[in-house]
Order: sequence, then structure tokens, then C-alpha cells
Amino acid sequence: MRIATYSVYANTVTSLQRRQGELQRSQEQLSSGKRVAKPSDDPAAAARAERALAAMQRAEADQRALEASRSAIQLTESALANAGELMQQVREQVLAAGNPTYTDAERSMLVQALRGLREQLLGIANRADGVGSYLFSGQGSAKPPFVDTPGGVVYEGAAGEARVTSRESLPIAIDGRHAWLEAPNPVPPANPGDPLNPPLSVFAVLDRVIGELATPGRSNDQITTTVQDGVRDLDAVNSHMLAVRARTGELLNRADAVEMHIGDAKVGAQYERSLAEDLDMVQAISDFQNRQTGYDAALKAYALVQRMSLFNYLGG
Amino acid sequence: MSGTALFSIGVRALAANYAALQTTGHNIANANVAGYSRQRVELETSLGQFTGSGFFGRGVDVATVTRSHNQFLTREAATARSLASADAAREHQLSQLELIFKSGEQGLGHATGQFLNAMSDLASRPYDSATRTVVLSRADALAQRFVEAGVQLESVQRGVNEGLRASVDAVNSLAASLAEINNRIAAARGLGQPANDLLDQRDRLVAEISSHVQIATIPADDGTVGVFVGGGQRLVLGNRAEKLQLVGDLFDGSRSAVAITEGANQQRLGSAALGSGSIAGLLRFQNEDLVTARTRVGQMVAAISEAVNAQQMLGLNLQLPPGSVPSAAMFEVGDPLALPASTNAKDLAGAYIGAVTLTVQDASQLEASEYRLQFDNGAGQWRLTRLSDNLVRLVNSGDVVDGMQIDITNAAATDQFLLQPVTRAAVGMRALLTDPRDIAAASPLVASTGGANSGTAAIGALTMVTPPVDATASVTVTFGAIDGGDPSGRSRLYDWTMFDSGGNPIASGSGSWAAGEPLPAPPDADINGFQLSLTGVPAEFDTLEIVPTPYPEQNNGNAVALAALRDKALVGRDLMADGSFAGGATFTEAYVAALSDVGVRAQSAQSSATISSALASQAEAARAGEAGVNLDEEAARLIQFQQSYQAAAKVLQVAQSVFDTLLETTT
Repeated sequence: MRIATYSVYANTVTSLQRRQGELQRSQEQLSSGKRVAKPSDDPAAAARAERALAAMQRAEADQRALEASRSAIQLTESALANAGELMQQVREQVLAAGNPTYTDAERSMLVQALRGLREQLLGIANRADGVGSYLFSGQGSAKPPFVDTPGGVVYEGAAGEARVTSRESLPIAIDGRHAWLEAPNPVPPANPGDPLNPPLSVFAVLDRVIGELATPGRSNDQITTTVQDGVRDLDAVNSHMLAVRARTGELLNRADAVEMHIGDAKVGAQYERSLAEDLDMVQAISDFQNRQTGYDAALKAYALVQRMSLFNYLGG
Repeated sequence: MSGTALFSIGVRALAANYAALQTTGHNIANANVAGYSRQRVELETSLGQFTGSGFFGRGVDVATVTRSHNQFLTREAATARSLASADAAREHQLSQLELIFKSGEQGLGHATGQFLNAMSDLASRPYDSATRTVVLSRADALAQRFVEAGVQLESVQRGVNEGLRASVDAVNSLAASLAEINNRIAAARGLGQPANDLLDQRDRLVAEISSHVQIATIPADDGTVGVFVGGGQRLVLGNRAEKLQLVGDLFDGSRSAVAITEGANQQRLGSAALGSGSIAGLLRFQNEDLVTARTRVGQMVAAISEAVNAQQMLGLNLQLPPGSVPSAAMFEVGDPLALPASTNAKDLAGAYIGAVTLTVQDASQLEASEYRLQFDNGAGQWRLTRLSDNLVRLVNSGDVVDGMQIDITNAAATDQFLLQPVTRAAVGMRALLTDPRDIAAASPLVASTGGANSGTAAIGALTMVTPPVDATASVTVTFGAIDGGDPSGRSRLYDWTMFDSGGNPIASGSGSWAAGEPLPAPPDADINGFQLSLTGVPAEFDTLEIVPTPYPEQNNGNAVALAALRDKALVGRDLMADGSFAGGATFTEAYVAALSDVGVRAQSAQSSATISSALASQAEAARAGEAGVNLDEEAARLIQFQQSYQAAAKVLQVAQSVFDTLLETTT
């Protein structure tokens, strides 16, 4: 077979260039640490890396939403704990007021104490969350959600629960109306199958007890009834608030679980991204050395071949 | 026998060997000229002279100089080179194109994620103006990224146009040279000997033309070759060359097409007819790869913008008093276009008579494609061809296809249109809001469960599906007995009543709610614009209240709905016959698909380019093996002919001495 001298040189130069290009690419990969620099390097891996990146981004956003929820719920939980202690004091004062030997004057001292406790409870119900909203504002309230009116305390926020969009939907403000004003009525309906009796409000129960205890000249029986009914209703609202508090505790547990999920998802996504586009260093170094050897051999071969010519042996 | 015969033989031998040496020298001199075919002197023995003693040889003659040339291999090399340059041109463009589809933090996907995740932050702090400002700046960044991508895609198109212009100019000047050489070859033919160097030049020109465009060559009797492009259009015939022209696309003037002029006629050459060569590679890239890339980006832009705008417009912004300023769209995108063919009927003033208007009805159904609209005389309707998959459908004016409404006015049956629903969407994208208060984070309605409820039902989410009929009305839903009509026992009956702001009932209805399904149940799509999802199970007499949001600045209902767009398959979904949707991709998935599509195209273009360039090198090596100069061979021939020359000189010397001997004897 004939070989044209021109194409010997041209082919050698082409293959030298190709080898140099490969070497250069290996070097780029080694210095960037990435196996996939552009989609065409490995379209499937590029797609996986892109998906993993979106998942990482999402996990970070979920984590931020979770933190917002958790800090609000933690504050709510401690507010409810405070409220529980106050409710315990209220119960003790009401029981004390049932003492048949107390005079109206002595009872009015207790009533004063009860009024003070009611104020504190209202304060807790309207506690701010420190970042511009209220703990018990439900689906939003621009001002303290519980308003003391002549007819009793009313809720002026938006009832229901505000939620954030983490991995799971988590509350950021719990329903204040439900927590404070809607304890199940301990008195069963008159006939089975009837709708339940209207729910009890913490403040309405207190107001009724305080109002009755503050009324002078009532008989011991009347006072006993007040105390009995009062304690029954106070226990009902207290246990309702305990249930709400238990739910916040459960929400905090859930937040921890969700956080673990988010963390796992993020680590998984990071691993996936790295797996998809990062360079296997051992492999890459070995490839680089192979290519280096190949280039070296090509250069040597070129140097040898270009010396071989019949002209070198003629004449002289 | 004359005494000068030996002289004559010696002189002829000298001349013949000198000619051979000269030709070898010529070969050595041209060893590095691309396309040069080595030449050799054909020697032949002069016919002998008859005498009574038989035939005496009269030496050697130079018959001709031939070039070592294999027409088949030459054509093979040109064809392979043509394919290789088509692949190389496409690969080069795709490698530009894929730079636009960046992955990671610089990519369009990341910007989309950042924007929608900012909505999640907004849901955590709807009242915080810093969070709102972040949402606006993310929206701005998103629009800018898409505009940038759109602009870069347009500049790739301009690059294609420039590449095509360069190739067309090159073909025209090569064709003119070829015609000139044809002319000289025809003239030299009269001399009776082949014009080797001219033939080499012509072969080289043919090869160079075919690297730009696939050609067919047909030799003529006068030694010239005819060159034809595009499946039979004359480019060079004899000494006459026609011209290729770069013209605008029939529909879209920003794209290029190639035409050939023949006299006064201009004939467009389809990219399929052009076969191979860099022109065909560029046209294929322009018409397939680039259109796909542009429509995919456009499809995402249109889908994201519409989904965000629709949700944003359902919410309440912070402008006071609440609800006084309707929430405005957050983005705008480039309009859909319907481009008439330049051959469509025109009125006397030169304006097109027929027109097509495209209106996007549902951006989530838009496909990443362009469409061709032609009249189908057989069916008497318009034939709409989706160019991405060549799906043909018959439509009438006013029909809605793939989420776009097509209105056709005054169009003649010969008219054709190119529909670009999303091609230019990205370039025209703009974030419209500048005031953080304009972001509609609040839902116009809020839902809560009744205080006396005994069931476990809680509000999962309240979603506005259309604007409320009455923004001040409240709705109470009361659950009743278990629905006996549902044998699975999963359903509970409910009644709802809508009250105006004064507390007077204005509407009511009832239905059967099934666990896990939204409320209201079909056939009602919504009550006062909302749809509820419940968690837990309601008991009999339980109530739900849905009231106007009292404090929009503190409510996050719509921000939650905006963040929820992250998980909805709103890109390229299909409308089923029953009104439900199937298919479709989330925004993340849509970008991932676009990215890997471009990646796969670029990768396969790279490997075809590698393969075809290897094939071209092989074909060229085969051609050169036959035709090229091997210096070792020429060195050997130099020696060979030099020795023959020296021997011939010796013959002359002997002849002279013989002659001298004769002269001496006779004097």
C-alpha cells in the first residue's frame, strides 16, 4: 500500500492534536473536580445533578419554614404552660372562695386576686411572637386578637391555623379562638343525638365565677353552686388548654421528625449531585497518566518517523 | 541503417529520462500541495525500423504525462468531507447552544427554584417587608435570566445566519473559479493531452464546494464537469456558474434559507434537499435544534408566568383599604406570533389580506413547538401541523388547540402561516411589580372549623380557584348524616349557606363530601371561588366557616398557594376528553428535560462529528494513498532516471566515438 508523505505528516499532526486535546480535558477535569462541566459531557448525569440541586434548594427553603414554625410553636407551648399555672392558681382561689366561713369582704380579696389572674391570662392570650405577629393570631391579626369588651372577651383575629410550607404543612400560629374560647362544654346535651351545648370560653367562665363571687349577700348554697359549677367549668377549660398544649408538644416532636427528613433529603441530594457530576479522583488521575503516556509516545513516534527518509541515505 | 541511428536513440533516451526527472522533480515540489496528484511520464518504445536483418529498435518516446488519480476515491473523499463538515458545523453550533442551558447555580432552573422558594419564606412571614422585597428581587432575577437566555438564543440564530452567509459566499466564489477552470480545461482539450494540473485544481474546487454543500458532478463530452446542488439545481454548467443566495425564511425573516437563482427564477432549496455540507448542517441546526431549544425555554416561561400570575391575581395585596386595588400580574412574556408566508395573498398596498391571531388560553397546555397552518382543500378545513412531532389536526377558526386559540380571518386557501406560540416568550419576559405591597400573599377568604365540632376535621388548605363571587360574603358548611348513597361509607352529606355582609343568606347548596376529596364535591367546582381540603373526619352537626380575611397583611394563604406551584405539573400538560389533565412536568422537571435534551443533542452531534471526521480522514488517506506523493518513492525514481540519463549520455558518447572512428578511417 502506498502512503502519501503529506498525509503521514497531516495524520500525525491530527492525532497529536487529538491526544493533546484529551490531555487538556483531563487536566481541566482534575483542576475543577467536576466530571460534568456541560450537559453534553453526560446528559443523564447533568439531569440528575440538576434535580439534586433543586432538591437541595428545596430542602433549604423547607428548613427555613420549619424554623419559623418551630420557634412560633415553642413560644406558644411556653405561653400555654404559663397559662396552665395561672389556671391552677385560679382553681385554688375559687376553691378557697367556697369556704363557708368567709365574709363577703374576705371573699372580695380573693375576687381581686382572681381579677389579677384574669388580666394575666388575657395578656398571655395576646402575647406577641416577637417577629411582628401574635402567638394566638390564627390566620392573622394585625392587633392583639383577644379584645376585652363589656360583653366579655371576643376573638377578633382570623380563626383557624396559619400554616407554612415545609416538607409537611406545619402551623405557624395556632387557632387562638379554639384554644381559649372553645373548650368542649362538660354539660351533656339534654337529649342524646342533640347538638352539643355551646363551647366554653376561659374568660367567660372566669367572668361568671368572678361576677358571682363578687356579688355580696349570697347564700352559702348559692356560693357552693358557684364554686362547684365554676370548678367543673374551670377543669373543662383547663383540660382543653392542656390538650392544646399537648398538641403543641406533639407539633414540636413532629417538627423534629420533619427536620430529620429534611436533613436526610438534603444530604441525599448532595450525595446524588456529587455522585452525578463530581470526578472520581483515582480514576481521573489514572486516566490523566494514561493520556500523558499516550501523548509522550505519539511525540516520540513522530520524532522517529520524521527522521526516516530515503534522501538521508542517498548521495552525501 | 544510417550512421546517425545511435545518435538519435541516445538523444531520445536523454530527452525521455530528462522528462521523467523533470516530472519527478515536479512531484517532489508539489509533495505538500493539498489535492495534488502525482504525475508520471508514460514512456513507449519507438517502433523498430525494418531491414533485411529484421527490426531494429529506434529508442524511446515520451507518450504523455499522466496523473495518478482514482475518480472513485476522489469522489468518496469529497462526499465524506461533505458529511463531516455538516456534522462539524452542527456540533459547533450545539456546543454554543448548550452554554445557554447552564446547570447548577447559574442555570434557569436554579433561578426558578429561588423565586418559588422565596414564596415559601413569604408564607412564613407575610407581613415582613424585607421578605416581600426578596420575592420581588427574585422575580426580577428570574425574568432577567430568561431574557438573557432568550437574547443568547437569538444571538445563536444570528451566528447561524452569518455562518450561512460565509458558506454561501464561499460556494459562489468557488463555483465561479470552477467555471473558469472548466473553460480552460475545455480549451486545453484541443491540444490532445490531459491538463493534469488543471484537473487537480478542479477536483480540489469540487471537494471544497462539497464541504459547504452536497453536490453531484456530471462530466460532459468537452471535458468539463457540470455541478448540481439540491437534487438537480444547476450550479455550474460548462463555463457558466449560477449563484446561491441567502434569503429570509418563508415565514420568519430572522431565520435564513438558501435559494439558487436560475435566470430570473429564484428557487428555494429545502434543508433536506441540500443533503450534507456545512450549509445543510447549519440549516438543520437552525430548523431543528435551535427551534426546539427556543420553544422549550418559551414553554417554561409561558407556563411559569401564567401559573404565578393566575395565583397572584386570586390573592389580596397590601394596598389599603384591603381589596381596593386588584392584585396585578407579576410577569409578562413575549406575545405568541402567527407569521404569514411571504407568498400569501396581498392587497394593492402590499399588506397581507389574511391574518391569524393566536391567543393563549391555558399556558400549561402549550407545547414546545411551532406549528404550520395550511388549508386542506379535501377536508375544507385548516390543517395544523405540530412541527415537533408532525402531528396533523384539522381546525376551524376559533378552535383551541394545545392551549392556544387560533382565529383565522380573510385567509385565502393558498395562504400558509407559521404559528409561534412560545418561541419569543422568553425575550419578552418582564417582572412587573415594583412595590413590595403589591405581592398578594393573603387569601381573600379564610376557613376555620366550628367551635362546637365533635369530629376531628381540620382545614388542610383553602385554595382559591376563581375570584370570589362576593368578596364580603361568608359561607357556613354544616355536615349531616353519612351518605347512604355511597356504599363504601366514606361520604358525609353537607349543606352550605352563603351570607352577605349583613348576615342575610344569599345562596345555598348541598352535596356529599367523600374522605380525601376536596369540598365542594363535583359537580360544584367551588363555593364563592374557594375549594377546601380537609384533614380528619367531620361528625354530624360539625360546621366550617369561611369568612373574608380580616387582616390581609397577616394572612399567608395565597403565599402558600404560590409556593405550592413548585410541585404542580404545569408545563405541557394534556387536556383529556373528560376535562382532567394528564402528563405535564413541574418547572424543575421541565428545565431538567430541556437541559438533558440539549445535552443529548450536543453529545450525539459530537460523536457523529468525531465519527464522520474519522471517516473523512480515512477517505482522504485512501485518495492520497493513490494520488499523493511519497517522497521515498520519488527519491528512488530520481536515482532510477538519473542513472538512465547517465546511460543515455554514454550512448551518445559511444555514438560520437563510433562516428569519429569512421571519420578517421575515411580521411
